[in-house]
Amino acid sequence: MPPDINQYKELARRYGIAATPESVSRLTQLVARQDSCVDEIVRVIEKDPALSARLLRVANPRAADESEYTVGTVDEALMRNGIGCALLLAMGTPLSLALVKTFQTMLSLKLDSVDLHQLDSLSGPHMRGSIGFSGKVVGHVFLRMSFATAKAIAAGILGLSETELKDVDEIRDASGELLNIMTGNFKSNLCDAGLDCKLQPPKVGMTEDYSTPIEPGGGLERLAFKAGKIEIFVEVTANPWSD
Amino acid sequence: MAIKILSVDDSRTIRLIVGKAFRPYEVTLLEAANGEEGLAVAAREKPDLIILDVTMPVMDGVTMLTKLKEDPALKGIPVIMLTAESGRENVLQIARLGVRDYLVKPFKEDQLIEKAGRCVTLEKRPVATPA
Repeated sequence: MPPDINQYKELARRYGIAATPESVSRLTQLVARQDSCVDEIVRVIEKDPALSARLLRVANPRAADESEYTVGTVDEALMRNGIGCALLLAMGTPLSLALVKTFQTMLSLKLDSVDLHQLDSLSGPHMRGSIGFSGKVVGHVFLRMSFATAKAIAAGILGLSETELKDVDEIRDASGELLNIMTGNFKSNLCDAGLDCKLQPPKVGMTEDYSTPIEPGGGLERLAFKAGKIEIFVEVTANPWSD
Repeated sequence: MAIKILSVDDSRTIRLIVGKAFRPYEVTLLEAANGEEGLAVAAREKPDLIILDVTMPVMDGVTMLTKLKEDPALKGIPVIMLTAESGRENVLQIARLGVRDYLVKPFKEDQLIEKAGRCVTLEKRPVATPA
């Protein structure tokens, strides 16, 4: 094991830094290489029940539940959808883990990852945050939610009631920080997999624009989350093979 | 006398959370929104502890930490990094520059208090009693 890895493990233990699940790190490393063997990717995903379940959900977009799956195995899902499918899984999982952990840690709320069709679609003006990243991988992460949800989250993070929030800037800043935390954890996983990249400053504001520009040559992963009345949509578009 | 803690973060939300965490203690909280402001406040106020973010506009946390450690008057101030970035290279680089501790966002206020308590003595504010 290289000395840097040992040194990092010792520091992570001392500082109490939780590691990204091994399966997610390994999958990111594999999809970062364009010449990865599909069998190896299949083996990594199959060993992790959560990754396998998500891949099959992505591969069966019209199915309401598992009984309606037409694609039943990880192998088949990758053969039909290609390596891009595994890439989106590798990109979306750290974002999903970080968002769920943020809710648990800072709001004491259990946020569940749900299928997109289980949530009502946003309509009209909504809060949208975006962060771009560039380097060996290029792309964007988008966070979307209603203004009411953004307000509830800001109040929860700051330990205030919604009426105690001073202004819209406070709500916008809290949404931006939620996006920062999520994307920072996501970036760490990319960098550890050899995909060094830098984050651009977040942009947060109200919008009626629902379009998501997809990174040329890359893919788009849409995730949805729910905790009571709180409903959140996350989109990630990335291309690690741009150079 | 209250100890001085400097929170350097471009997010007002994080500065508010840090302020709330230290409210029960005899602490004067100083704030800065980027590394450049952070260095100026550190030079002027000589805080007892700095809580520092990594990704910030104008000057990032790694540059501020580097400059802090190059300054004989400031290099002894303990620094706790408070960041969402826990990538291997980031942690190794920051550890080499010399930080006292590292806290990854998302975090709980009591984790911050525990780590700060290892760097400085935190004394509870007296509870106000009705006259």
